[in-house]
Amino acid sequence: MTLTDLWVSFPLIVLVGGTLVLMIGVSIVRTHKLALGLTLLTLILSVAAHDIALENITTGYELFGLLNVSGIQVFFNVLFLLGAIVTALFAYPYFNERMERCEEFYILLLTATAGAMVVAAATHFASFILGLEILSISLYAMIAYPRESHQPLEAAAKYLVLSAVASSAILMGVALVYAASGTMAFAELNISPESGERSYFLLGQALICVGIAFKLSLVPFHMWTPDVYQGAPAVVTGYVATVSKGAVIALLINYVQATEVLSYTGVFYAVVFVAVASMIVGNLLALLQTNLKRLLAYSSIAHLGYLLIAVLVVNTARPELVLETVLLYVAAYFIITLAAFGIVNLTSEHATEDNEQMEAYTGLFWRNPLLASVLTAVALALAGIPLTVGFIAKFYVFAAGVEGTAWALVWALLIGSAIGVFYYLRLIYTMVKQVEPGAAALPQVGTQSVVAVTVLGLLIVVLGVYPTPMIDMIRTIVQASGF
Amino acid sequence: MTPLILFYVAGFVTLASAILAITRTNASHALIYLVVALLAIAVIFFLLGSPFAAALQIVVYAGAIVVLFLFVVMMLNLGKSSVARERELLTRGIWTLPSLLALVLFAVVLFALVSGDHEAGAQARMIEPKEVGIALYTKYVLAVELAGVLLLAALVGAYHLGRRYLADRREEEESS
Repeated sequence: MTLTDLWVSFPLIVLVGGTLVLMIGVSIVRTHKLALGLTLLTLILSVAAHDIALENITTGYELFGLLNVSGIQVFFNVLFLLGAIVTALFAYPYFNERMERCEEFYILLLTATAGAMVVAAATHFASFILGLEILSISLYAMIAYPRESHQPLEAAAKYLVLSAVASSAILMGVALVYAASGTMAFAELNISPESGERSYFLLGQALICVGIAFKLSLVPFHMWTPDVYQGAPAVVTGYVATVSKGAVIALLINYVQATEVLSYTGVFYAVVFVAVASMIVGNLLALLQTNLKRLLAYSSIAHLGYLLIAVLVVNTARPELVLETVLLYVAAYFIITLAAFGIVNLTSEHATEDNEQMEAYTGLFWRNPLLASVLTAVALALAGIPLTVGFIAKFYVFAAGVEGTAWALVWALLIGSAIGVFYYLRLIYTMVKQVEPGAAALPQVGTQSVVAVTVLGLLIVVLGVYPTPMIDMIRTIVQASGF
Repeated sequence: MTPLILFYVAGFVTLASAILAITRTNASHALIYLVVALLAIAVIFFLLGSPFAAALQIVVYAGAIVVLFLFVVMMLNLGKSSVARERELLTRGIWTLPSLLALVLFAVVLFALVSGDHEAGAQARMIEPKEVGIALYTKYVLAVELAGVLLLAALVGAYHLGRRYLADRREEEESS
């Protein structure tokens, strides 16, 4: 281990070290405020440590042949850490009211984030699976965190069983790929077309794709999404929807570029099918939802289908455009989704159950104009209406699809978006409707979460109106990483 | 040729006991077959030239994990009626087949040891425990650290979900 190794892995070391400090701290003094403070401090220090890491890498840096850290990974890592900061801020008022002991949640939040960072940087099956398991195991406990209520436990049990099946599919795939190619490093996973082991090499790749599609909740592996999204506490749902999916997306783009797995026609068309099915089915199933969390779940299925377009044109479009699209889309998706679940979360702070029925938001414009404006921005951004960051992201995906001449995918994107507009607008319509006399009063909301949600809402609009700084930053990162 | 036959015998035992394990309706019976399946996998590791992995397989899976399983099954079976049920669990018909399969495995190992050609069973060479240790603490040190984080996350999660509430305990104390 050299000193450079140490500096490059410094953000991860800070994060894991902070987890240990938090755990020891909690075992001495159990104070919710202190736990939150230590968590935020750890996360912020880890963000700062990325600056040191960046100084020590030029285009990319191999850590023990297990992780590869480049500017792109740093970008993803900072997104995960910011997502975790927002989650911690939302979690405080939510758990403070309803839980006797809330401190373990922050330990799990930190380990989950560390797992996400490992997955995003993995270049070897060993680190990929370890990172994925750190992330998943932390998520099981986070979903079931309010353990005395029925729904979170049910959601966690469903997620545990199905996610374990997906993990075993990945492991079986890795075993087959290893048997055929004799290596577990992504960059060496090539096999000549004449090789006799090609059949089970491809079978292994297919199993790995199934596992990844499950983690990204793509059709037809999406069945768990609405139930888990609905059952988990809103703050955890936001985390599952953003950080855990962002990590797998980062891995996917890494994997696809290193192994050129999409140059096998069978795999390519299978992924095209999954992408088209996700865009169409996700949007269709969202149409009739009356539960906001389920609606967002189906909408996230569709959004990951859109994002898959950028991954699929990796061989036909310019690599820098593909990467720019993925980074931009993931960043936009993080902001929008965290804002959406943030609102569900903060209106549920003092309730026994999450405030997730669409009816509960009737007339929100007349009752709480600020929250209603943010939720409107979220809905418009998810629909991809101009002047929101969602439009910029969708436009990039569209451009990448056109440049990669993936016409079927572009059509699916257009049809899916057209269907999507209906239910996003229905949400806005619900908020504008007059409140019926005798309706239940809106729950009180805390200032801390309102500030966080407002900042996210402002980001959606500001980055949508003036996206140049963000696009420039992403372009610099992609170019610095050697594309 | 012999190592190949040995491998197929061990493979057959693995598959047979694994299928039997998942088709049993009684959890304790399934566990017996599970133990045999895990032992058979250990034999396969041994035949492939990796005695260390075989030893780990026995210690960790057949030993620790199955014992944990048994504990859980036994704890779920608490009660007076279950004592009678447990007596019925181990009739002769139940344990003959697993013992037979285990006996086959034993014969395979014995044969491999006596004939001494188990090392030639695969193109791979023998891997000594020392080599595994060196690889884990040099090349894969990061993976070992990550496995530590994984265990920490699992421990904290299990602690939170499994912990009894203070309120519950107070109620219990009051009633007792």
